[in-house]
Amino acid sequence: MTKQIELSGVNKYYGAYHALKNINLSIEKGTFVALVGPSGCGKSTLLRSLAGLESISTGDLKIAGELMNKVPPRKRDIAMVFQSYALYPHMTVEQNLTYSLRIRGVAKAEAKKAAEEVAATTGLSHLLGRYPRELSGGQRQRVAMSRAIIRHPKAFLFDEPLSNLDAALRVHMRKEIRTLHDRLHATSVYVTHDQIEAMTMADHVVVMKDGVIEQQGAPLELYDRPANKFVAGFIGSPAMNFVPATVGEDGRSLAVDIGEKQTIALDRQLQPGRKVTAGLRPEHLHFVEPGQGVFRLPVGIVETTGSATYITTSTATEVTVVDTTRRPVGAGDVIDVSIRPADVHIFDAETGLRV
Amino acid sequence: MADAPSSISSRKGVPAAQAPGNPVRDVRGPIKRLYSSVRDGRGFDIVLVAFPLGFLFLMAGLPLLYNVLMSFQEVDMFSLGTLMRPFVGLKNYRDLFAQPETLPILANTAIFVAGSIAGQFLIGFGLALFFWVNFPGASWLRGLFLVSWVMPGLVVGAIWNWILSGDFGVLNFVLREGGVISGNIFWRSDPNYSLYAVILANIWLGTAFNMILLSVGLSAIPADLYEAAELDGANAWQRFWTITLPMMRSTIGAIIALGLIFTLQQFDLFAAITSGGPNNSSNVTQYWAWEQSFRQYDFAKGATISVLMIIFVMIASVVYVRSTRHEVRG
Repeated sequence: MTKQIELSGVNKYYGAYHALKNINLSIEKGTFVALVGPSGCGKSTLLRSLAGLESISTGDLKIAGELMNKVPPRKRDIAMVFQSYALYPHMTVEQNLTYSLRIRGVAKAEAKKAAEEVAATTGLSHLLGRYPRELSGGQRQRVAMSRAIIRHPKAFLFDEPLSNLDAALRVHMRKEIRTLHDRLHATSVYVTHDQIEAMTMADHVVVMKDGVIEQQGAPLELYDRPANKFVAGFIGSPAMNFVPATVGEDGRSLAVDIGEKQTIALDRQLQPGRKVTAGLRPEHLHFVEPGQGVFRLPVGIVETTGSATYITTSTATEVTVVDTTRRPVGAGDVIDVSIRPADVHIFDAETGLRV
Repeated sequence: MADAPSSISSRKGVPAAQAPGNPVRDVRGPIKRLYSSVRDGRGFDIVLVAFPLGFLFLMAGLPLLYNVLMSFQEVDMFSLGTLMRPFVGLKNYRDLFAQPETLPILANTAIFVAGSIAGQFLIGFGLALFFWVNFPGASWLRGLFLVSWVMPGLVVGAIWNWILSGDFGVLNFVLREGGVISGNIFWRSDPNYSLYAVILANIWLGTAFNMILLSVGLSAIPADLYEAAELDGANAWQRFWTITLPMMRSTIGAIIALGLIFTLQQFDLFAAITSGGPNNSSNVTQYWAWEQSFRQYDFAKGATISVLMIIFVMIASVVYVRSTRHEVRG
């Protein structure tokens, strides 16, 4: 495996504003990397820096082993799919696809052939003569991707490409982009604010916040072992419950404070009396017979999606429980739930780091 | 909104009460009913259209038709007050083209229009691109440029009279000091230069207008198109030719057409700078038409020249309407 993109010690300043803080990231050739985080976390800035549309202030950026810090975008051999698609409105689909080839002086017949080949794989063959304004959102999206594919670039960059599509089409295009990636053995960097997109599509997920990489790794690694409270809360839906807790005197139990104190067992030894935050995923809280569970919780709000029911408690610290068994539960009921010790995530109360 | 359904249906010409057994009860006050019968009726739509149409016909259409009519009549000082004058067919047109100054004046007009538009457009586009870079204070400076456009033509003419003056004009001074010329050029009285003197002033007058319209066109091009083109490998020059110019096509078409109309209307500068002279060397049709009518009192000849101009302006108008209709955006 060779490194296709390498960032080391990258910083980006806009005046006094520190947009990217010491970014270190290396992307293997052929992997699909998702940059995910809330708005303003720097993920788009990072992507645009890879493309060369923004310059990095300090640090090194290498693409295919070559230092790219000062190389203009047009010489980086990178293709980007924009959120707005950025199709050339005055050109037909075919002209949009062949633009990069024509700029490089590829012969007309050859460019046309390439456009037809790409269009055939992306289902655009019958639309080659149309203008972008005559296309639907999904079709425009496909043109934007085809325009990237036709170049065989060193890497594909995606800037929230699905955010303008409706929910059903988004799920469909998610698979299509992943299939395409696998077929082309491409290196892809995909920016999204949607953790589901990141989890389902990527081989490697990079979670960012305030210009810092909070954690990176395989999707399930982030889900199973979040490095801190932020990642734990960001990955997974519905979001993880955080409840204040204190380690018991034996160091093997946890006194959890959800309105009333409840004690759960720990599978590891911790310093007695330590203040921590317990992270309990809603899907890990399972129902038990009355009296058998560790939590007795009054029900506040019940939301039904069909496949699952989200039960939010009316305790001081709200806790969400996911039930997939269609248990008849209503507001005001009391439910008994339990959790396996291995499923309890523990974070330091002050730093938020995983314990 | 109790009256909303009935007002909507009556606007579309459908009777208000559709079901006979279930008449819509009118609970509105008499004033309101009167008002909405005026507002919702067919007649109101026609009145709305008729007002501007009537105004246009009265203030622009009739004089235009009267002008065309006069070009086919024999008009003198004594028949000026009558409408039905001796019909002479195309005699006025034949006479006009028999005059030795006609072709040179038409040629002058062509040079004036082409030179003015070329200068205004190229400098305007250059300035628009310059301010598009958006350095600090760019929008302020761009606004200041409009000063030239809001100035009356006669004032501009007076200023340029000073600049162009043969003896003490600053233009001669600059050219002389720059080593371009050795002796003074008498811009306004030398037949070789008089037309270009007016073109120079007209370019100065119209550049700001071109720049503003082109700036608007430039700012309407989405920035991500340039980013996409940049990633597709296009350099600045290629981006200009493949993105900027095609995206500006409708704006450019509109500006050229408007420029054609405006330059054919430019009268003040000729009156202020050269008065068409010397010896018609800087005369153009619009000034000449006025001269024929109100200096020579040959109203038929003046009308004939105007009709020729109407044809050119019509062509320009068609170009303008077509180019604004074919806007490519999004």
